[in-house]
Amino acid sequence: MALDYEPKIVGFLCNWCSYAGADLAGTSRTTYPANVRIIRVPCSGRVDPLFVVKAFQLGADGVLISGCHVGDCHYNEGNFHTRRRFVLLRPFLDYLGTEKERFRLEWVSASEGKKFSQLVSEFTETLKRIGPRKT
Amino acid sequence: MINEIRNKAKELLEKKRVECVIGYERATDGLTARPAFIYDPSEVDRLIFDETCVHNLSRFLIDKKHKATAIVAKPCDSRGINLLLNESQLKRENLFIIGVVCSGVKKVRFNQIEDSLQNKCQYCPQHVPSVYDFLVGEPVTETASRNYAEVTAIEDMTSADRKLFWAEHFDRCIRCYGCRQVCMGCYCYECFVDELDPLWAGIRIASSENRMWNTMRAFHLAGRCISCGECERVCPVNIPLMLLNRKLEKDTVHLFDFEPGINAETTPPFATFKKGEDLGISK
Repeated sequence: MALDYEPKIVGFLCNWCSYAGADLAGTSRTTYPANVRIIRVPCSGRVDPLFVVKAFQLGADGVLISGCHVGDCHYNEGNFHTRRRFVLLRPFLDYLGTEKERFRLEWVSASEGKKFSQLVSEFTETLKRIGPRKT
Repeated sequence: MINEIRNKAKELLEKKRVECVIGYERATDGLTARPAFIYDPSEVDRLIFDETCVHNLSRFLIDKKHKATAIVAKPCDSRGINLLLNESQLKRENLFIIGVVCSGVKKVRFNQIEDSLQNKCQYCPQHVPSVYDFLVGEPVTETASRNYAEVTAIEDMTSADRKLFWAEHFDRCIRCYGCRQVCMGCYCYECFVDELDPLWAGIRIASSENRMWNTMRAFHLAGRCISCGECERVCPVNIPLMLLNRKLEKDTVHLFDFEPGINAETTPPFATFKKGEDLGISK
């Protein structure tokens, strides 16, 4: 593995919590790796499994779905649906050869800028350890 | 057995209870079966039922949504009907289901009937249809339990081996979409793969596009696939598609305690949720 390998992470962040959380990380000048490419979605429930599979197909090393904590969804129940989809999709992708570690679902609220930066750092480290995804 | 089906079909057509009876007839090769659509009571003698009747006929009901139709259903077909009823694709009052007690159907290859049972029948725990109006054959008590040995075998491989295993299979895919056309769960007016903008799966010949198609086809049937094995049967390049479907079935049963097609009332797992459920990710 090349030493200068920088993984690409596609982050689907919910508009109401995690996107604001990522924004807070920025405004409070917390540094986090620039490996994450953020896509703002109205709710984590908007993330169709199709998006995740497509991201992996187009060369993402990791996919992060992040939304409001369970029970805090702006649309009341969006993240409950996300959760159900995620628990089925992750083992399925693993079954097809995309390691479990490459796909994460994390709850980050608008006040958790620190948590977001730690999350991205940790995820990037994990992906660097696993190495590039061979398609 | 066959006389019971024929008499019932005749009775239904003569009394105008149904417009059409969907069943099986002998194909022109004299060996295999093919789907038959009987509209005239005088033609009911065309109907047959034996171990060559491999097709899942519930697919044809989607085109007959608003017409009174009778159908000959094996246990797997009956699960398909339950799925369609559950998803409000059919009206129960328009249907007359002639259930058949089934002990498995034979493999058919190159128009030859082989001696062994279809793969799906080897792990199928069901012999009596889940839903029927009229039952043909002697009801038996179900004894077999579900077993996912071949799925576990793949789960036990290393990640790299699994990737290789599937790459070898998906590389053969010619994307004829036969698996979709034959599936009674794939009734979308526009399949994601036919969309041009966004182009979810491109038309170029590439293993990543094949992989995209096969991943999403299986995942769209997560918690919906009733294991009739039709996709695998029609696949011209013999991709073990049931390994994908059964992995999802195994997880659905384990996580959500849901078996598709067993009845038409339980809400499908992706249409509902439980607030306090612990799916192994709660923090």
